[in-house]
Amino acid sequence: MTQVKLSGLTKIFDAKNPPAVDQLDLDIDSGKLTALLGPSGCGKTTTMKMIAGLLRPTSGDILFDGNSILSIKPEERGAVMVFQNYLLFPYMSIADNIGFGLKMRKVSKKEIRSRVTDMLDLVQLPGFEDRKPNQLSGGQQQRIALARALIVEPNVLLLDEPLSNLDAHLRDEMRVLIRRIQTEMGITTVFVTHDQEEAVVLADKVALLFDGRLQQFDSPDAFYDTPRSAEIATFFGGTNFIPGHYQDGVMKTDIGNFKAPHSAVGDGAAMLSIRPEAIELGVGGDNSVAGTILSHVYAGRYARFQVKIGDLEIEAITEPGQVKLFGDGDTVPVNFAPDKIWILEANSTPQPVGADSAG
Amino acid sequence: MKMRLTEKGAQRLSISFLLAPALAVIILLFLGGLITGLLRSLNYFPLIGLNDFNFEAYVAIFTDNGFIQSLVLTFHIAFTSTLISCILAVAAALLLRPAFRGKRIVHFFFSLNLTIPHLVGAIGVLYLFQNSGLVSRIMTGLDLISKPADFPAMVFDPWAIGIIIQYVWKEIPFIGVIVLAILLSVGEDYESVARSLGANRWQAFRQVTLPLIMPGVVSASVIVFAFTFGAFEIPYLLGRTFPAALPVLAYQSYTDVDLAARPQAMAMAMVIAFISTLLIMAYMKLSRVYIRE
Repeated sequence: MTQVKLSGLTKIFDAKNPPAVDQLDLDIDSGKLTALLGPSGCGKTTTMKMIAGLLRPTSGDILFDGNSILSIKPEERGAVMVFQNYLLFPYMSIADNIGFGLKMRKVSKKEIRSRVTDMLDLVQLPGFEDRKPNQLSGGQQQRIALARALIVEPNVLLLDEPLSNLDAHLRDEMRVLIRRIQTEMGITTVFVTHDQEEAVVLADKVALLFDGRLQQFDSPDAFYDTPRSAEIATFFGGTNFIPGHYQDGVMKTDIGNFKAPHSAVGDGAAMLSIRPEAIELGVGGDNSVAGTILSHVYAGRYARFQVKIGDLEIEAITEPGQVKLFGDGDTVPVNFAPDKIWILEANSTPQPVGADSAG
Repeated sequence: MKMRLTEKGAQRLSISFLLAPALAVIILLFLGGLITGLLRSLNYFPLIGLNDFNFEAYVAIFTDNGFIQSLVLTFHIAFTSTLISCILAVAAALLLRPAFRGKRIVHFFFSLNLTIPHLVGAIGVLYLFQNSGLVSRIMTGLDLISKPADFPAMVFDPWAIGIIIQYVWKEIPFIGVIVLAILLSVGEDYESVARSLGANRWQAFRQVTLPLIMPGVVSASVIVFAFTFGAFEIPYLLGRTFPAALPVLAYQSYTDVDLAARPQAMAMAMVIAFISTLLIMAYMKLSRVYIRE
């Protein structure tokens, strides 16, 4: 088990462009599964390649268990990277692919053979030794790529978009497999993804990057409950933003005053954020205001309402049964439960409400 | 079932029609020439009064010590040139692969001599490496050798060094451009995977990159081998008169005043064709085994 620390890590490819990775500080827990999350081009894969030693940082440091590894060659770092497009060696059998790392370490053929068999069992593809990569489906190739990395017992396992090339069904299977193997072997694992759901489902902790800069490094639920900016809240699915003034635990807005005990900021101009699924329709109370239903969508497992409150339009996601209770044009009490309200900085620029919806 | 067969038949028919023009050229020029050559090598050449089939020409050349020496020399030229060009071309392609400033200019100069005819290259080699050539004069001037005649023979020499230099000079960019194209399309990620899994630079090259580019290297070197084995001009200009390379020997026999030597010339041409085919097949088989390893 290895603790990985990134300290001021920076990579500049072209002096004319902003850095691909900018002053990144990150403490990756030993034996845990950490996600590097962000839109494409945000520097996730670059960060991973620097950890693996495949790219040289422009500045900053990478430490394994407190020791800088910048001067250590990639083959000696024990940080193995699994690429997004698997990259199985096409002319080698599956057994030779998996055994590659051991062959490089001059392990005896007999031992390689038995460990390859163990690995194939682990990734649930027993008996695949003699096949060629082009005879395998994408999901199978992905598992072989994983087995090829795991066989060398890496200190740090780096997975680049491990699920993005798989269809939905295989993705779930692979998620379970990665989680199980990671827990069993206790390898410090970092994986890169652009999919916030994937990060949340799989990771113990998520590091969110925009434009090469770390936005928030937290447990998955924190990104939903206590995002540090409106941008982050938006990235994690649509949320409602209402500007106003925050003072003494109360958010004063154009549409009313709301009790809001949880805040990322102190008193002053602020932004109220509440997720559509936290909004309750037809519930009165201290934190409730009157709204008019503009439109609704029935989506089977949930219903989605567009509600107009004053000059603002918000989105609410409710139980599907609620479509029977409220029709378009109805005026209903709309409740903002105090515990579900999160107060953010005012100067962050929110997306239009409901423009980027969950799911 | 019947329907499907007809469809397939129609498809085949249309393919053969489309191929017909290309095939006609190949059959007429290549096979026609080959068959004429074969008949003449078998002593059938009615025009000069040879009407009986026999193997005399073949017996004559294979019992001739000079022919065997020419064969060995030709093989030496083709093999050595191909091997050296391949190694240097792969090395050059690896150096030219990464992005660097002025890459386009370097690439231009690298592939420039693809456009220069072999003949010009041969003249260049003559000017540079003859005993009275530029290199020997410079070395004399620098007192590295006492007189130009002390310069080791590199043209008209028994080891065909001048010929090999010319071929290597000409073929490096040819193989190199092909290998570079493959290297760029393969990308560096496979190497990264190998490094990440614990391969050092050499292992990553030997175990991963080389097998990936090998098919290209093989095709390119087969072309180079076949060319250097059968080409006439360079050994004619830069080689010794005895033993001469096979194509030169065949030409000498063909232009011999004695018409009876014609079948022998044809037999030599046949041998060149046959041996090149054989060697190329063996070479491809060997390299396939190498890739699988």
